[in-house]
Amino acid sequence: MKTRLTEMVGIKVPILLSGMSWISTPKMVAAVSNAGGLGILATGPLNSSQTREAIREIRKLTDKPFGANASLMFPGAAENAKVLLKEQVPVINFALGKGDWIVREAHKYGGKVFATVVNLKHAKRAQDFGTDAVIATGQEAAAHGEDVTSLVLIPHLAENLQIPVIGAGGFADGRGLAAALALGADGVAMGTRLMTTKESPLHENYKKLAQEKDVYDTLFSKRFDGILCRVMKTDAAKKAVKKGLSWPAAFFNSQDIARQMGVPYFKLFIGVLLSGYGNARQLAYMANAFKAIRVATENGDSQTGVLPVGQVQGLIHDQPTVAELFERIVKEAKAAQAKVDGALA
Amino acid sequence: MIKTAITEMFGVQYPIICGAMMWLCKPSLCAAVSNAGGIGNLTAANYETEEDFRAAIRETRRLTDKPFFVGITLLPSIRITAEHHRMYVRVSAEEKVAGIEFSGTPLDKVAGMEAVDLLKKAGVKLFHKVGAVRHALHAEKIGFDGVYAAGIEEGGHPLNDDVTTMILTPRMVESLTIPVVTVGGIANGRTMAAALALGAQGVMMASRFIATKECDVHDNIKQELIRRQEFDTVIYGKSIGLQGRGLKSRVIAEVLAIEERKGGFEELIPLLSGQKVKEAWETGDVDYAPLMVGQSIGLISDVPTCAELLRRMAAEAKEISAQAAKLCGN
Repeated sequence: MKTRLTEMVGIKVPILLSGMSWISTPKMVAAVSNAGGLGILATGPLNSSQTREAIREIRKLTDKPFGANASLMFPGAAENAKVLLKEQVPVINFALGKGDWIVREAHKYGGKVFATVVNLKHAKRAQDFGTDAVIATGQEAAAHGEDVTSLVLIPHLAENLQIPVIGAGGFADGRGLAAALALGADGVAMGTRLMTTKESPLHENYKKLAQEKDVYDTLFSKRFDGILCRVMKTDAAKKAVKKGLSWPAAFFNSQDIARQMGVPYFKLFIGVLLSGYGNARQLAYMANAFKAIRVATENGDSQTGVLPVGQVQGLIHDQPTVAELFERIVKEAKAAQAKVDGALA
Repeated sequence: MIKTAITEMFGVQYPIICGAMMWLCKPSLCAAVSNAGGIGNLTAANYETEEDFRAAIRETRRLTDKPFFVGITLLPSIRITAEHHRMYVRVSAEEKVAGIEFSGTPLDKVAGMEAVDLLKKAGVKLFHKVGAVRHALHAEKIGFDGVYAAGIEEGGHPLNDDVTTMILTPRMVESLTIPVVTVGGIANGRTMAAALALGAQGVMMASRFIATKECDVHDNIKQELIRRQEFDTVIYGKSIGLQGRGLKSRVIAEVLAIEERKGGFEELIPLLSGQKVKEAWETGDVDYAPLMVGQSIGLISDVPTCAELLRRMAAEAKEISAQAAKLCGN
């Protein structure tokens, strides 16, 4: 397949691996890139030296283009982004913040920068400061979408932007890819679908759950990590949403994060306090969510673990290899497209 | 000219159906959509007596010789009772209308299987608007001819499963043998082509038809739909068990505030009165009553005639499909 996205980054299928914490690891990124898509490394759980090592590991596993993300709201994300720039990562995907400085630096070595957005205002701003493409997150997506759904958001962005739009939220198969192209997208990002593949490091318990759960088995709430977030509906998720923010838990969980980031807890604590109540509350929320997602993905714990998933889990019925999946998606997209052509002829 | 199971079933040019809209889907708009090559809707609850309902069907027939749907919502309300529902079914069968869009409770639960049989014997095609596969399977089981798969982006009362069109349509298509019509988020050729790619045999739109020349509504409303964007609608009514999506406005902000402080049904009822909606459509005051439109309003930027709209959607879908075919290497 050939779209502005495949041409821009030199890939064969217009499919991105969403940067999912503890899932989009070097091996997974390489599997997706080797199969012809674009793997995106999740740097959320990594400190800067781990990020550097991860990039080098990816380069050992694949000679194909790949990317890495930086969720600018997280502490340590800017430091990670600087590592990505220094290592000249081909594609940097920033979210939840203003990435103009990343664009400036990446363009110096010919890197491309994608912004994750939920509305036209942010997309236009990203386009104005030189971002190369936007990833449009629809309401159905795992984790942080907003109210507008992919069906409406993609055509609205595609018609008002010059840069390519990549649809995220609701995509798991070839019909979806064909629909995204019809809506004006140049590609799609897949998280929930790709986490349920043979190569994905997601714990087997959750791979199984993702296949069993239906389209309506998700929760979409601000009470999980402080902003609208979609997670798999499990007893643990229901409990977490009911409980809302627990400050004492955040106190302990943020100590883990400080250890993870390799900064003294005292320094992180003061930094967070100085950032104001709203931000501190947000980070406290995220510290708890961080822990819950980690025990779900790594340990398969469905008692206390919580996993972000999209509604599209209801369309997932198997666990193929990434290469098998991409081959099937391309075949299905061609068939779906041929059918539409037939109807419109 | 488009060819799908829906165009074949009804012998129409385009698989584009107008959805039921209280106060708006009357003979003139209904006939305009059907004359334009789509399928119009005559919403039954606009008529309280058998005489008025039958007269409206006949008036529509004077205005068009093309097929059109009757819209019947099977939910109890103060004005429209179970007796009305039975009357609408009987008159639709007697008048042999082309099809019925049902929504709400399944027809067999409200009026028994004899109502289904009566309509089928009269050659009326039956569709139910549903938000979940389990409801669609029921419609299929009792002999319905198709379902409308209504995603959370639709205006009106989307099911609180909250599943979006992008996911609901393919989920329905893989689970059913009867045709699926996509509802929610459809307003142009792009969204129609996407629905077809997802496996739909047609699309249903309502908000888009409000902003057409033939829709009998105050011009302020049409202009407001052009001005407002896809994020300008909101879900309300979750606290009373009947969620709705409507245009963000002062009255909906008030409704949400009452719900937030857990105010009851009695407090909400005066704000949600259907009579006030009628007045709002007529006077063009968007803050007077909840106006139930979908996220697709973000894709509306003009007021064409129904004929212009449908012709443009088909041409756009065709052009887009040709581009997409190239991207797919077909």
